[in-house]
Amino acid sequence: MPVNSGLADVSNDFLLAAVVIYALAMLAYACDFAFGKKPAKAAAAARVPALVGAGAAAGSGDGESAPAVTAPAGAQASGRFGVGRWVAIAVALTGIGLAAHTTGVILRGVSVDRLPWGDMYEFVTALTCVAVAFFLAAMIRYRAYYLGLFVMVAVVLVLGLAETVIYTPAGPLVPALQSYWLAIHVTAMTLATGVFFVAAVAGITYLFVDRHARRVAAGRPTGSDGILRRLPGPEALDRLAYRTVVFGFPIWTFGVMAGAIWADRAWGSYWSWDPTETWAFITWVVYACFLHARATAGWRGRRATVIQLLGFGCLIFNVMVISLVVPGLHSYAGLT
Amino acid sequence: MTGLRTPPQTGPATPPGDDFAEPEAAAAAIARKPGARLGLAGWLRWGWRQLTSMRTALILLFLLAAGSIPGSLLPQEGSNPTAVSQYYASHPVLAKVFGGLSLFNVFGAPWFAAIYLLLFASLVGCVLPRTLRLAGSARQPPPKAPRYLDKLPFSASYTAAAEPEVALQAAAAVLSGKRFRVRTGPGWVSAEKGYLREVGNLLFHLALLGCLVSIGLGGLFGYKADRLLVTGTSFANTITALDEFHPGRMVSPNDLQPFTVSLSHFSASYLTSGPLLGQPSAFNAAVRYADTPGGPTRPFTLSVNHPLVVDGVRVFLIGHGYAPTFRITDGTGHLVFSGAIPFIPVETSGLTSEGAIKVPDAQPQQLGFIGVFLPTAVDSGGQLQSRFPAPLNPVVSLVSYAGNLNMNSGPTQSVYSLNTAGLHRLPIAPQPLAVGQSMKLPGGLGTLTYTGYQQWVSLAITYDPGQLPALVSGVAVLAGLLLSFFVRRRRVFVRAEATESGGTAVDVGGLTRSDAAGGFEDEFSRLAAEMSGQAAKE
Repeated sequence: MPVNSGLADVSNDFLLAAVVIYALAMLAYACDFAFGKKPAKAAAAARVPALVGAGAAAGSGDGESAPAVTAPAGAQASGRFGVGRWVAIAVALTGIGLAAHTTGVILRGVSVDRLPWGDMYEFVTALTCVAVAFFLAAMIRYRAYYLGLFVMVAVVLVLGLAETVIYTPAGPLVPALQSYWLAIHVTAMTLATGVFFVAAVAGITYLFVDRHARRVAAGRPTGSDGILRRLPGPEALDRLAYRTVVFGFPIWTFGVMAGAIWADRAWGSYWSWDPTETWAFITWVVYACFLHARATAGWRGRRATVIQLLGFGCLIFNVMVISLVVPGLHSYAGLT
Repeated sequence: MTGLRTPPQTGPATPPGDDFAEPEAAAAAIARKPGARLGLAGWLRWGWRQLTSMRTALILLFLLAAGSIPGSLLPQEGSNPTAVSQYYASHPVLAKVFGGLSLFNVFGAPWFAAIYLLLFASLVGCVLPRTLRLAGSARQPPPKAPRYLDKLPFSASYTAAAEPEVALQAAAAVLSGKRFRVRTGPGWVSAEKGYLREVGNLLFHLALLGCLVSIGLGGLFGYKADRLLVTGTSFANTITALDEFHPGRMVSPNDLQPFTVSLSHFSASYLTSGPLLGQPSAFNAAVRYADTPGGPTRPFTLSVNHPLVVDGVRVFLIGHGYAPTFRITDGTGHLVFSGAIPFIPVETSGLTSEGAIKVPDAQPQQLGFIGVFLPTAVDSGGQLQSRFPAPLNPVVSLVSYAGNLNMNSGPTQSVYSLNTAGLHRLPIAPQPLAVGQSMKLPGGLGTLTYTGYQQWVSLAITYDPGQLPALVSGVAVLAGLLLSFFVRRRRVFVRAEATESGGTAVDVGGLTRSDAAGGFEDEFSRLAAEMSGQAAKE
């Protein structure tokens, strides 16, 4: 298939634009922390009415009333922010950046007439796209605006690195990658990596917030805590990170299994302990550790979060070091 | 063993021993220090409890992850034995230490096996009691509704005009309609749903065990082999014809499926323009194969990601290269060699390849050559380099030796390199030969003619009876994981009481175990609204 290099250049322009827009969004999130209205940090009453019932007869005097439902306090904690001006700007910028990012990824695919995650550069641009999309979804679902700054810092860094250090010109795939399993295996790995990315950001934020909360509880001086006071409590962050990992873990498992099936079709052995495979396995085991640790007394909280971040560290080590430096069957994923 | 978040103070809804309870309660019971009067059985029980505790499982999981790391950073015997010998040569002392620790064969090492076997023992010890408890609890009705429902993590209340009994019936009907298991009593209803969560958890862990068994099956009854095949030649799947053969423990040479494969033609195409110039775009090997030697042959086009399957055995195209062809006459004028010599690529962008020619039949002295093959030779500053992997200007350059090849004594030699110990280098400078050109050896030792080249492919031949069980186990792992993550085990309780003003006050309480995916608050409020609506209709 010939490469449409004009289209590939347009794709690059869109991706560069996305980096710039994300950087602006990052500034807007930072401005919200700096200048936005302080949220009413009312220590939420233990029970907060969550549903003012659908029962139309409520209070109409016929003896029926709509159910007043109470839910655990933690479930409500993330929903206590009104959307400020800066947040509105930041979210809009994130949306525009994501549109440019997605367009860039799609155009890259069109220019080479295949799925746009066939080399490391494409993989990184695609996975950051997933991370931003998943973050936007989590932001809407859990109203987790506070994570915006942290996600954007990470995305701008990684995407900027992709555009400068590991940029690879558009081209067709080597024969080893010419398989529909590329679509299945790498898509799953890209999705899972993007999701774990968000979980890691939530985990890091949790560690800071938790430390702050402990200091406050211990009555020790907390230093400058402008940002920390505006974040939700550690419980809400911990739950967000956990739910994100729970969402990503089956996708990762599926991706590793799809990779095994592909390896079986391509190399004749579904598991060869190739370095990249080994680190995917290590990543899986560490995330499994996290899931178990979170259900175990004495490991819950900080320790579990450290394990989660360790898992993400393994993932990044695999992508950035093992695939590029250590020779193995996955070496073609590296730079030319 | 997945995440669990039961809110505190669930009161009478979680009687001891109920599997809605926190696991720490069980863990605390396990962690009892063994008393001085423990007998052997007591110690064994204590050891078993330690092994099957979550903490031990966590440590073993960590060890499994940490133990895999050297397997990814050091060369491994199974995948790259050459690199292991190179490591021994360059770091003799360190390599000896590593070798002693089996770090060049991590995934076959006894200590690695110890970790995963202990982990699986721990896992079985954890999962088996759960299975029994699940079987027990599946037959039990949900527990009685606790007295004060507003103490539960999820609670709601509404009033109904109907009698308490009617309101309860309405609530029970809604819950039954949602496929809850419902139990009723005087003034209360309790309901439970989501038993599949535990089933999924068990399925996940048992399926992991299934994966291990499948890998073991492959290791016992499967085999892997390699064969380099030059265009125009054929081989049969017998031990003598295979270059490398790695049988499982239970495989004997007679178990090999006796098919034959011949290579008719190999073609490779490469990008001829753009920034990725020289990157391969397609490899195709036209082969003919027969199920039995002498049987009817059939054509097949072998390519990467498209293996040939014969008799349950799969043949993969995993590599390719060039085999320059030579005619060599010795000092006495006899033709002592005519044929193709496979050269091994040493780089990918230009497929520069190296190889060795050995002519043991040459008289008066045996002859040997070390050569470089350049598919597209280009002069770059006085030095020849291959600039493209296709054979556009195939040139060979040889260093010539004469003397004793030592082929009948000493250690086995690689066919791709020359042992120069008994040889002396001939005083002739290596010069690039184009196809058809000859080189006269000094001292009347003979003549070598570079007549052309063939292509070769390397084939991997694998047989793995554990493949299908592994796939089934993998699917079960995923299914178990999804069930245990996304099915909620939850209980809903309803109590109704007549109020002084004549109506009925209905309290609803809810409890869930590990709401990993979230959303029980929504389900609970929908249920409460429906029950309220149903009671109004009665």
